[in-house]
Amino acid sequence: MIFNSLPFFVFIAVFLPLFFSTKRSESAWTIGSVGYAALLEGVLWYGTSQGWWHWPLHGLILVTTIGSRLLGPLKGQHLISLVGSYVFYGWWDWKFLFLVGFSTLLDFTLGLIVDRESDDKKRRRLMVLSIVMNLGFLGFFKYFNFFINSAADLLTSVGFQPHLTTLRIILPIGISFYTFQSMSYVIDVYRKHMPAERNFLKYAAFVSFWPQLVAGPIVRAKDFLPQFNHNHGFDWDRLITGTGRILWGFFKKCVIADSISPFVDQIFGEPSAFTSINLFVGVVFYSFQIYCDFSGYSDIAIGFARVLGFKFNENFRTPYFSQNFSEFWTRWHISLSSWLRDYLYIPLGGNRNGKFATYKNNMLTMLLGGLWHGANWTFMFWGFLHGMYLIGQRQLGKPFGAMMNGLRFPAWLKTGVNIALTYFFTCLAWIFFRATTFGKAMDVITGLTDLRGYNLVSLMNKFWVMKGLLLIGILLTIEISNLRMHWSGLTFRQPAVRVFAYASLLLLIAFFGSFGGGAFIYFQF
Amino acid sequence: MAFLMDRAGGWFLSKITQESQFRYSRLYNGHESADILFVGNSRGLSFYQPYAEEKTGLTTNNLSYNGMPVSLAVPLVMDYLDNHNPPKVLVMDISLLDSVRMDNKLGYQFNHYTPFSQRLSDLMKRDFANDYYAGIVSHLYRYNSEVFQRTFFYWKKSDKDWLLDRVISPSMINSVDEQKTLRFSYDQKMLDQVSTMVHYAKERGVRVELVVNPYYPAFVPKIGNLDSLMNDLSLATGLSVKNFENAITQTEAFGDYQHVNKVGAKLYLDKLIQAGVLETRTGYNGK
Repeated sequence: MIFNSLPFFVFIAVFLPLFFSTKRSESAWTIGSVGYAALLEGVLWYGTSQGWWHWPLHGLILVTTIGSRLLGPLKGQHLISLVGSYVFYGWWDWKFLFLVGFSTLLDFTLGLIVDRESDDKKRRRLMVLSIVMNLGFLGFFKYFNFFINSAADLLTSVGFQPHLTTLRIILPIGISFYTFQSMSYVIDVYRKHMPAERNFLKYAAFVSFWPQLVAGPIVRAKDFLPQFNHNHGFDWDRLITGTGRILWGFFKKCVIADSISPFVDQIFGEPSAFTSINLFVGVVFYSFQIYCDFSGYSDIAIGFARVLGFKFNENFRTPYFSQNFSEFWTRWHISLSSWLRDYLYIPLGGNRNGKFATYKNNMLTMLLGGLWHGANWTFMFWGFLHGMYLIGQRQLGKPFGAMMNGLRFPAWLKTGVNIALTYFFTCLAWIFFRATTFGKAMDVITGLTDLRGYNLVSLMNKFWVMKGLLLIGILLTIEISNLRMHWSGLTFRQPAVRVFAYASLLLLIAFFGSFGGGAFIYFQF
Repeated sequence: MAFLMDRAGGWFLSKITQESQFRYSRLYNGHESADILFVGNSRGLSFYQPYAEEKTGLTTNNLSYNGMPVSLAVPLVMDYLDNHNPPKVLVMDISLLDSVRMDNKLGYQFNHYTPFSQRLSDLMKRDFANDYYAGIVSHLYRYNSEVFQRTFFYWKKSDKDWLLDRVISPSMINSVDEQKTLRFSYDQKMLDQVSTMVHYAKERGVRVELVVNPYYPAFVPKIGNLDSLMNDLSLATGLSVKNFENAITQTEAFGDYQHVNKVGAKLYLDKLIQAGVLETRTGYNGK
């Protein structure tokens, strides 16, 4: 289920009280939680006479209420977390629960064996087995048809007539995220960064934790697994701060991202039909659409985790304020970029073996990062561009900086130029990320260079544009002011500010939000 | 605080809605009866009002909107006939009978007009119940639409010159052969709705003209079942449909395959007057 949907709000109403009810094992809490479960059961039976969708919720209520009482507070909470997460994930397609379950069982078992094994070669082989199996799942579900079609195109180009078969494979949502998360656990156990987890229920709850299961952040076992070592009770402060984060995430997703997506979809659907100004606005809008969509999801995930008593690391830090691409990759999708750094770039040698090896490692990491996003050459080309940017930065960074110093630019102008250039090249790469084919990407780029098309009269739908610019302006105002005002801390300390801020966000969501249940962009990865 | 701010905001925006010069605000504040009433989807914007009024000497009103579905057009026309003196003629472009190209969700964007129209309220409750009741919970939610943005945009200015105004690009001209066949997707329910509207108008002494607005000439062969649509509509309404799909041949008169621009709109309106669809102050041809 997606966050911006009615079933999700029903799920939250059911899940949260059950989750917190395990904190205490006294009889009063037991009676209270069982009574609440009975009430929920009554509401569901009475209010949902048709349709299948209430059955998973019945399962959630019954299994968790009974099971948690039998298992005790801590394990009971793990059980509720696990069952709730499986209900959340299985809402899309229950058949993919077997994949998540198998992946969980596989890496749990391999982690135990690696931990117990003393022979380093055997340990290494087991780690490689985990990587191969996880990447095998990912490769099959995500890349099988891509590789078949690419091979067919290649063979056709050299004169063969291949008859290769593609399969109708449905991509399981979130597979790119939970396979990476699971792999990193076994790798960390192999590297002896952490001991293997011996409690399967706890490990399964960690892998499937619903706020981050389908679109990250990709959490590291050594940071996140210990948070399952104690029972999490309800806390008003966490509810307040978590709610603020959730509202901010919904604002970015429902108000900004979903409002500008129709314009972007039209532009990238048929770029040759639009003038330069429409293409320019479309590219800028897309840069904010993907930022708000993805960081909005992360905010919602971080917010719900906070309410539940868990801490996720930040996944975005105002990336469009970056002054170069090294900095950009410490601000954009931080959980993925740090994962690629720690598990790919550094093991390849990082920057330790000279200039050309560094360039090779940068490029390989970015190419695979691009491929991670999707089975299309346009994603790899996006990765290639970012690899070139990093290489170009290493080669040209110092001369460029010296030139700026030589021109005696004031500091604010140097910062502005750096940010503008980084944003410009980021948007150039986004064109390939968004376009479905190279042809359409080139249509966008070619169209942008036609200076005659930069006139306001030919702007496609000025209402969409005005609304989009207004919302982006609100976003930038809040994010820039947050650098000084630190709104999250202020809303926590000052109740009046909090009330006004939360009320304003709710009203902005009501007035500007799109509620068509639009999926998050990163669900497709 | 959210509730109070919501109600205050909703009250302010309802004032804007009532005072706006946008076509639907003018429909419901009953201030402007017109001699000629147009209705259609985005192609209905071809009924370019300033030129129509200049050439005919009559007043006009245009209820067209991008993606207008039949289910919304009919109650709007009927509301117009209830709130105003009946026009001399009602002209409708029949291409809005197409479930593929119409915006099935446009209806909920008229949520802010539901306080003024029982028909729109019924439509919202039937087809967009969640949005209707959400608009009762949050008054600001009623104004969460592009239609309201236009209502606000036209708060102090006229919307009569609203028209797609670009010229078809060379790449579109060169790729017309690659376009898929356009087939109107309509059903008996849509035909019945138009028939209801036609009879409602005729009972009030309104002459109704059903037309097919121009298409880009090279695109016309790509239109699959226009004859069927015309025949079925004639049977349902008892009116013949006047086909102007080939009325305009100049390339520079088109913004894309399905829409004329300002140049084309003027040429088309001249054709409508010549064909007797539109009458002038000096008289009606009656063809």
